[in-house]
Amino acid sequence: MSSLPYAADAESPLKPAELQVLRAQYEKEGEYVGIQTKFNYAWGLIKSSNRGEQQEGVRLLSEIFRSSPERRRECLYYLALGNYKLGNYAEARRYNELLIDLEPQNLQAGSLKTLIDDRVAKEGLMGVAIVGGIAVAAGVVGSMIFKSAARKR
Amino acid sequence: MSNDDQDVIPTRQIEAFSRKVTATANHLIGPLGDAGVSQHYQNALSDIHRELRRPNLQRSILSFTQTSPRDLIRSNISIPEIQHRALSYVPDELLANIPENSSTYSLFQGFQATQPEDEKRHHHHKHSRRHSRGRKLLTEADEEQKGPPELTHLKNEKRSLNHRLEMLGIRKNMCSTEIREIDTKIANLNTMRKIVLDRLAGLEQEEMDLEQDILGVDNKLEDLEEELEDAAALAQKMPTTPTKSAVEEEEGTDEFMSESIYQKLPSSATSSPKSRRKRPVRRISMPILHEHLEAGSKIKELQAHNDTITALDFDAPFGTMVTSALDDTVRVWDLNAGRCMGLLEGHLSSVRCLQVEDNIVATGSMDASIRLWDLSRAEYNPQDQPAAHSNKDGTTNDDDDGLAFEGNPEDAPPPPPPSSMQDCPLFTLEAHVAEVTALHFRGDTLVSGSADKTLRQWDLQKGRCVQTLDVLWAAAQASTLAPSTVSTSDSAAATAGSGWAKTGRYMDAEADFVGALQVFDAALACGTADGMVRLWDLRSGQVHRSLVGHTGPVTSLQFDDVFLVTGSADRSVRIWDLRTGSIFDAYAYALPITSMMFDARRIVCAAGEDVVKVYDKTDGRHWDCGAGTVVHPGEEVGFEGVKASVVERVRIKEGYLVEGRKDGMVGVWSC
Repeated sequence: MSSLPYAADAESPLKPAELQVLRAQYEKEGEYVGIQTKFNYAWGLIKSSNRGEQQEGVRLLSEIFRSSPERRRECLYYLALGNYKLGNYAEARRYNELLIDLEPQNLQAGSLKTLIDDRVAKEGLMGVAIVGGIAVAAGVVGSMIFKSAARKR
Repeated sequence: MSNDDQDVIPTRQIEAFSRKVTATANHLIGPLGDAGVSQHYQNALSDIHRELRRPNLQRSILSFTQTSPRDLIRSNISIPEIQHRALSYVPDELLANIPENSSTYSLFQGFQATQPEDEKRHHHHKHSRRHSRGRKLLTEADEEQKGPPELTHLKNEKRSLNHRLEMLGIRKNMCSTEIREIDTKIANLNTMRKIVLDRLAGLEQEEMDLEQDILGVDNKLEDLEEELEDAAALAQKMPTTPTKSAVEEEEGTDEFMSESIYQKLPSSATSSPKSRRKRPVRRISMPILHEHLEAGSKIKELQAHNDTITALDFDAPFGTMVTSALDDTVRVWDLNAGRCMGLLEGHLSSVRCLQVEDNIVATGSMDASIRLWDLSRAEYNPQDQPAAHSNKDGTTNDDDDGLAFEGNPEDAPPPPPPSSMQDCPLFTLEAHVAEVTALHFRGDTLVSGSADKTLRQWDLQKGRCVQTLDVLWAAAQASTLAPSTVSTSDSAAATAGSGWAKTGRYMDAEADFVGALQVFDAALACGTADGMVRLWDLRSGQVHRSLVGHTGPVTSLQFDDVFLVTGSADRSVRIWDLRTGSIFDAYAYALPITSMMFDARRIVCAAGEDVVKVYDKTDGRHWDCGAGTVVHPGEEVGFEGVKASVVERVRIKEGYLVEGRKDGMVGVWSC
C-alpha cells in the first residue's frame, strides 16, 4: 500500500454521506481534535469538487502543518495537491519542489510536479491564446477603424 | 511484450518494422498499466512521453512562468481568494523546519483505515478503473490472473485478508499514536495547571503581605488614637483605666499589692502597646491554595522537635500551629512561613493534649495542669523576623539547634526571641491530680479528662472548675440502672454484668484512661480505656448513652451533627450514627490507631505507620498520604534516604493535613 495518494485520488470526490461522517467526527472532537481526524476531514474536503470545501481543506492542512512538525513532510504533499486542485500553482509548486528536494525518490511528488507543469503550460498557452486573440481582435478593429478613417478622408 | 518474439526473424526490414511496432505498442500500452512493468518505469516512460509531446515553442515561451495567468489573477484580485491564501499560508521558517518522518503510518493510510472496509475496497476498484488510463493507480489487481477460478478466488481472498490485516495494524498504530497525543495534551494541561497554581500561590502570598500592611497601618492608627486619647485624658487629669479584661488571672502575681491596686497598674503588655496585636486575630482572606493542590502532595515539612510529637493542632490552613513533644517544649509555628514563632513556657512536664481555636490555645500536661494562652499577644511579625535575627543573634536560645526548616536550610528562619511569647499565658487550671490526657473546649466551656479517672468541666470566663464527672461512678451507675432506661447499645454492657467493660486484651497500663473527648454545648462525648464511648449531658452530669463496640482503649474521637467517629487501639475506626446510637460503618488498619480526625471529606488516621491513612468518605477510597509513600518522585519525599518515622498525631482541617511523627518531624500535606 502506498503511503501517499496519487493526484488522481484527489479528483474523486467522496459521497456527501461519507464526507458528513468525517465532518461529524471532526466536530465531535472539538477543540482537542486529533491529527488523524483533522486530516481525514481535510482530505475529504480536498477531494471534494466544491471550491470552498477545497479551500477549507487546505486551511486545515496548513493548521496540521503548523501544529505537528512530525507530519510536516506528508502535509507538504497534501498542501501541494490541494493548491494544485485549487489552481494555485505557485503555491503548489512551492510545496512540491520543497518535498522533491527532501525526497527526490518520491513518486507521487514527481508525478504531481509534471501535472503542475502541464497545467501551468496549458493554462499559460490558453492565456497566451486569449491575449493573442484579443490583440488580433484589437488589431483588426484598429485596422478597420484606421481603414474607415482613411476611407473617409 | 509478445512482439519481441518476432526479433528472431533475420530479415532486416522486418526487424526494423518490428522495432517500430514495439516502440509504438509500448507507447500505447505502457500507460495502460501493464502488470509486468513497474511503476517506476511507467512514470519514467510517461514523463518522457510528456516531454516529447509538449511543443517546443510552448515550453520555451512558458518556461519562465511559475504559474498560470488564472492563478495570477486569482491571487491578486479576488478578495476571498486572498483571504484564503492568508489563512492557509505557511511561512518559510516553518517550511525550513521539516523533520524526518518518524510515524509508523502515513496520514493517508490512516485515512484509508478509518474508512469502512467494504466501501473502501469498492472505492479502490472504482478508482483503478476510472484512472487506469492515467499512470497513477495501483494496478496489481488486474484480470491477467491465470489458472482455474478457484485459485483466483483463493488468491483474491488471501489478498483481501492480508489487506485487512495490514489495515488492522495501521489502526492499532493509530490508536497508540492517538493515546500518545492525548498523553502529551494531558502533560501540557498539567503544566498549565501548575502555572496557574503558581499564580494562585503568588496571589495568596501577596494577599498575606497586604494583610500584614493593613495590620501595620491599623496598629499605627490605633497607637496614634491612643496617644491622642492619652493626651486628652492627661489634659483632663483623668486616671487611666486598665484595658485588660478580668479573664486574666496572672500566676505569680505580686502578692504584696491588693487585687484592686494591681488592676490599676498598667501591665507590661499595656505599657508596650506595640507588642500587642502584631498578629491578625483572624485572617481576612481565606487561603484556598491547598484545595487545588493534588491530593497527597506535600506542602511543607519541618523538624519541629527532636522527640516524639505528643500533640499538635492548628487553627486554620496556613495559619498557626502549636506542637508539643516529649522534649517538654510547646512550640508555636507560622504555617505559612514554616517558621517557629516562639515557645509556650510554663508547664513543668510535657504536654499531652492541646487545642488551638482562633488565637486561644489550651494545653493539658503530665503535670496535671491545664494552661491557656492567647497567641494574639505574641510578639511576632513574619516580615520583621530576619531583621530581628541580625540584632538578636546573641540573645537567641540555644535549644533550637538543628530545628531548621527542611526544604532550604540556607534561608532557615532564625530562632524566635525567647521573649516573643511572654505575654501569651492567660491562666492555669489546676485541679486534676494526675496527668491530663485529653481536653477540648468550645466557647467558654472546657472539658478535660485525666488519668485520675475524672472529667472536669471548666468555665473559661471565670477560670474555675464548675463540674467534676467521675467516669467510674457513671459506669457503676449505668450497671445498676434497669436496661430499659439505657440505650440499647448500653444494655449490652449492662447485661454483661458491669458498666466497666472488661476488655482485658487491650487494657494495658499505658493506655490513657480518657483517650479522647469532645464537647459541644451541653453535649460531651468521651472515649475511655475500656473501649466505651460515653455521651454525657453536662447539665445533668449523667451519661445518657454509651456506645459499645471497641475492644481496645479509645484513643481518638470526633463528632459532627450526624456522626461520631472513634479510633481505637483495637485497630478499628468506627463511625456511629448519633441519632440512633448504632454503628454506621467501621473499618480497621493493621496497627492500633493513635490519632484520628475527619473533615468534610476525609477521615485521616495515624495508625502506627509512616503514612497517614486516609479514608475518602465521598468515594469510599482508602489511600495513604505522607512521607512513607513515594508520591512524587521529583520531590525530596522519596529521597529522604532514611525511612520516614512513624506518624503519631494527625490533624486535618479543610483538606489541610498536618501530621506529627515519632522523630519530631511535622509534615503538612494537601489532602
